Formats: sequence, structure tokens, C-alpha cells
Amino acid sequence: MKHYGEVCAVDGISFFIRRASVFTILGPNGAGKTTTLEILEGIREPDAGEIEVFGTRVRRVDRTVKERMGVLLQEANFEPYLKVKEVLHLFASFFKHPLSVDSILDKIALAEKANAHVKTLSGGQKQRLALGAALVNDPDLVFLDEPTTGLDPQARRNIWSIIADLKAQEKAIVLTTHYMEEAEALSDYVCIMDHGKIIAEGSPQELSARLGQETIIEFTAGALSSEALVPLAEGCKSARMDGELVTVETEDLISTMEHLLAWAKGHGLELKNMVVRQPNLEDVFLSLTGRRIRE
Amino acid sequence: MKGILLIARVHLITAFRERVTLFWFLLFPMFLLVVLTLIFSGLGNGGSTNFSVAIVNMGPSTGGATDFAALVESVFDRAATPSEPGKEPLFSLVKPAPDEDKDAFIEREQKAVRLGNLAAVVVIPPDFNQQLMQSIAGTGAGDASVNKIVVYQDEANAGSQMATSIIKQIISGIDREILARTGKFDEQKDIPTDTIWIGNASGELPYVDFLLPGIILMGFFVTGLFGVPGAILFARDRQILRRYWVTPLTTPRYLAGFALGHVGLCVVQFFFLYILGRFAFGASVNFAQPAPILFLLLGSVTFLAFGFFIASLAKTPNAGMAIANILNMPMMFLGGLFFPVGGLPLVLRIIVFINPLTYLSDGLRMSLGVEAGTFSLPMTVGVPLAWILVCVLVASRRLKWDVER
Repeated sequence: MKHYGEVCAVDGISFFIRRASVFTILGPNGAGKTTTLEILEGIREPDAGEIEVFGTRVRRVDRTVKERMGVLLQEANFEPYLKVKEVLHLFASFFKHPLSVDSILDKIALAEKANAHVKTLSGGQKQRLALGAALVNDPDLVFLDEPTTGLDPQARRNIWSIIADLKAQEKAIVLTTHYMEEAEALSDYVCIMDHGKIIAEGSPQELSARLGQETIIEFTAGALSSEALVPLAEGCKSARMDGELVTVETEDLISTMEHLLAWAKGHGLELKNMVVRQPNLEDVFLSLTGRRIRE
Repeated sequence: MKGILLIARVHLITAFRERVTLFWFLLFPMFLLVVLTLIFSGLGNGGSTNFSVAIVNMGPSTGGATDFAALVESVFDRAATPSEPGKEPLFSLVKPAPDEDKDAFIEREQKAVRLGNLAAVVVIPPDFNQQLMQSIAGTGAGDASVNKIVVYQDEANAGSQMATSIIKQIISGIDREILARTGKFDEQKDIPTDTIWIGNASGELPYVDFLLPGIILMGFFVTGLFGVPGAILFARDRQILRRYWVTPLTTPRYLAGFALGHVGLCVVQFFFLYILGRFAFGASVNFAQPAPILFLLLGSVTFLAFGFFIASLAKTPNAGMAIANILNMPMMFLGGLFFPVGGLPLVLRIIVFINPLTYLSDGLRMSLGVEAGTFSLPMTVGVPLAWILVCVLVASRRLKWDVER
């Protein structure tokens, strides 16, 4: 448990993180993800509760635990005038048994940038350097706080590949992300937080299965009044509008599609960008809270 | 230990690679040393390579081929004549009037050298011709001092040193001319010259010797006042510190590395300023003694603590720089760094008396022997130590090592 003044940031949560797995914490801003991570990383002390890590119960993570832990913070900054290899040498010097800097440079594919100043790196290169600094001690437990936020698709794929390698090396990985596809692609176990509490947890498949045999239909149809949706909702499980995006949930896809097309024809609507898909973690969060994670 | 050394290295590397930091911690103090020395040492008047030199022949003018004193004078006369119309000659010569007392002339012109109005005084001894002939013939009494041409100069004045160097070259040329005339050219035989340092011998302190310790302390002061809170608050604000705290690095180890880096920067500053002061302006103060070294170390640590104090008061780097700027001017100019502060009005003297720079500059100059000292030794050490204690106490209670939520 952790309070900031009157606000309860983390409220009686409990979970397990296993070796050789990616444990993902999902939730909107202010859900308590970062505070949970900061407690696990040793930045903050909980008001109440304990952490059992590597078989030892502690109130606050100490140096011994930090020797076996790697952290990529949400805002990964380094001294701008240091060279890439100098940053890695610096972080290696904080640990008793670091890996060689050259091996880390190879792992994060920054060997050719070893002598470049941090301030000259691109966003993706900086993030890979941050990952390198987190892995310099060959940690057993790795915390990755939104590792791909703001990166282009190629840079994101590069980070995903490194995370997959870490998992293959039997590391325990704790991940937070805003990207549903990232959580679904990488996670073995997902914990959804809202208002400091865990509201759902399980594998991505287990969580999606909670929504039963539902199918999601999404499309855009220009500006619609909420009254116009009422006849549509009568032919499916639910129908919602989010800006121009209309989301329809159904357990009988064929009859709902017939109903939807008749409704669109009746209102003279042109259906654009139509997608028919299975529920994802965003839908799980939506069904649990009535809000989108990014709201 | 390796972590501590690398943190210190980061501190040093950053200062050298960041142009703004490099300017404030190195170029600005060097610039100030040059400007103040030029202004207050009398060098730079006119900005040309014309040197005012007084020359006096103490002996009678005998004429003929063996009047070597007249030869020396004529060479200087030629050096004082423009090589072409409109071009300034190398020397402007000052000579005694025909009926003027030569000893009084020398005394007056020596004073002009002390004041920086004259580069040098060249004195040809009374029996110069006779002694030189004996020396060339190998029949002299063996006392080399009698046939010396004496050059008086001020070692604290770069212009004076340059003029002396040229004079020595001229005299060397005269030597060859004399030996050629007497048919005894021998590279081994020179006209001996002697140089008398006027600044020190007179007991008057060259300004550069007063200024250099002050500028060095000012460098330490600027590095502590701006560099320390700047580095800490920037690293805290950008979450660079937070990144350290999720490793086994502890705050005391980080602090040890940071302090080592700060002292390292001060050592670099010291050497740059000392070399500039010593070789460009002839500073003669000797820092290689235990007491000055301890005062320099005390100064470095005092301003390190001051930096932590400022960092503890500020929430952002900009706020830290604003506080440093507020403290900078009164502390720098009312600490006796650039000029004596004894005669200031009472209000300003209050700042002088609580300013650690006052005591550090007084103690450092006293330990270097360039000032008698205004305060007692316990005061010069005790007041900075008290400031360190206060700053460390405040910083240990208030300084946040991570961004607040």
C-alpha cells in the first residue's frame, strides 16, 4: 500500500512474477502502475506491505537485490555529453559482476555508436542504450517501464526482439505499456490495474476469454447522434460511439451484420474502415471499467 | 571504488565537453586574470611593441675604438631610431640631462619601472671600458661583476620582461662587435649582464601576485556556486540520478565521486590559472607549500558545500541558477578577491565580514606571504569551516535526491 497525501496510489495489491516470463502491468495513467514499479525497484518504500524477492522478504529493496536487478525507467536519460561506451562503463562500475561493455554493445546493436555522444543518438538508439544500462549486470529480474513509448515501428520491433531474447535467457521481466498489441504479443501474464487496485489478471488469452464468444465490429460513420444508435443496439449485445468510431459487440455475428447493414441503409450511412475482430485487452478493460485505457 | 572514480570522471568530462561550463569554469577566470593584470599592471598602454628604456653611462666618454660604453649607447640609439619614416622604433630612450646627477637619475627611473611607466633601466658601470679590456686581454682581477651591464626590470610586468629579453639580445650582439674590433672574437666570452628584480627587492607587491590567488579562489567559487547545483539539479530533473538509485550505487558513494570530481576540476583550474599567471605575467607566488595547498583545498570544499546548499533550496535547475546569481555578485566582489576591501562603507562591510571568500582570500594570501593578513589564522580557517558545517546541515535536511511526486 502507498499513499501520496490523501490519494491512495497503490491499494492492497498482490501478485507473483515468475522466471522466464513477461509479467505486464496494464492500466490508464494514475492507475498505480508506476508507483508499484517504483516500490519494486527500491525507489519508494511502501506505507504497508512486503516484497518477497529472490526468496527474501524485504520492506524496501536493498543493494543485494539491486545487484540482480535491471531497470529501464520511463524517462531514460543519461548525461548528454557522455559517449555510449562511457555510459555503459559507468553503470558497469556500480555492480560487482558486470558483463563486458563490448558484449552489451553487441546485444543492443550499438557497437558502431560506441563513441557517439548520448545527445546525438536517436530516440530508438537512446532507448536501446537505456536497455543496455539495465542489462549491464546480467540481471535475473528486469523492469521495463513503457520501453517502446514514442518509438517508430522498427525501433519498437527491435526492443521486442531484445525482450524475447531476455525471456529465452530465463529472465523474469516486468513490463508496463500503453500498447495493447505489445502487451498481447509479449506477455505471459497480464495484471490490469485501476485506481490503485488489480481489477483483473491472467494470460492475455484468459482475459480475452472473459468476454465469452463475443465478436467486435468497428467502423466509422461520420457524425451520428446517440439517438441514432438506439435501433442499432437493439440488434446486438452493445453499441457504443467514441468520436466517429462505433464499436458493436455481438455473440451472433451473422444476424448482427444483417441488422447493421439494414440500419445503415435506413439512415443513409456509408460505413467506413469496418473491422471485425476478436476482443483484445483494451476491450477487457473497457468491459470492466466502461473506459478506455488511454482515456 | 571504481564507481566513485567513474562518477568523478563523468563530472570532469562533462565540464570539459560542455562549452558553457567550460567557459565559466576555465575561460572566464583566465580572461579576468588577463584583463585585470593588463589594466592594473600598466602593460598594454598603446598596445605597440615600443618599450620605454632608460640608459645611463656612469663613466666618462673617452672616444676612440676602445670606448665600448659609447658603442653600447650608440646601439641603443639606433634601436630608438625609426627604421623607416612613420614606423615606431623598438625603444624610446630616456637619458640623464648633461648636468643631471646620474645616481638620482637611476633612482628616479627605477621608480618609473616599479610604477610600470618604464620597461627597464640599463646602467653601464663607470669603469666598464677598462674592465672589459682587461677581461678580453685576460689580465683582469677575476671579479666578473665589475664589467657587468646592469639591467633593472620588474618581473611582474610582462612588458618589462619582454624589453629585458630584447636588451639581452642586443648586448649579445654588441659583445660580438667588441670582440671583432679587438680581434679576439670568442664565442665563450660574453659581456656578462645582470638583472635586478625591482618589484620584489623594493618590498612592493606586484599586482599579479595579489590578484592570482584571488582569481584562483574566484574560479573555485564559480565552479561551486554554479557548477555544483547545476550538475545536481539537472541530473535530478532529468531523472539521471533516479537511474543511479535503482543500481547498487548509494548516495554516499555518489557524493564521494561528485566531490572528488569537483576537487579535480579545481585542480585543473588552478594549474591553468597558475601557468597563465606565472608565464604570461611573471607571478612569483609559491603555492607549493602545505599552508596554501590546505587553504586551496578548504576553498574548494567550502564552495562545494555552498553548491549543495543552493541545490537544497531550489526545486528546478533554473531556480538554482537564479539563487546562485543572487549570491554571486555580492560574494565575488565583496570578498577581497580583486581589491582590498578594508575601506568599504559599513553596509558593504557586513557582507565582507560574513563572506567566506574574505577569510579564504586573506588566509591564502597570508600563507603565500603576499599579504600580512587582516584576520587571525583561526578566523581564516574557522569561518569557512563554519560555513561548510551550516551548508552541509541544511543540505542534509533539505536536499532531495529524486524528483518529487
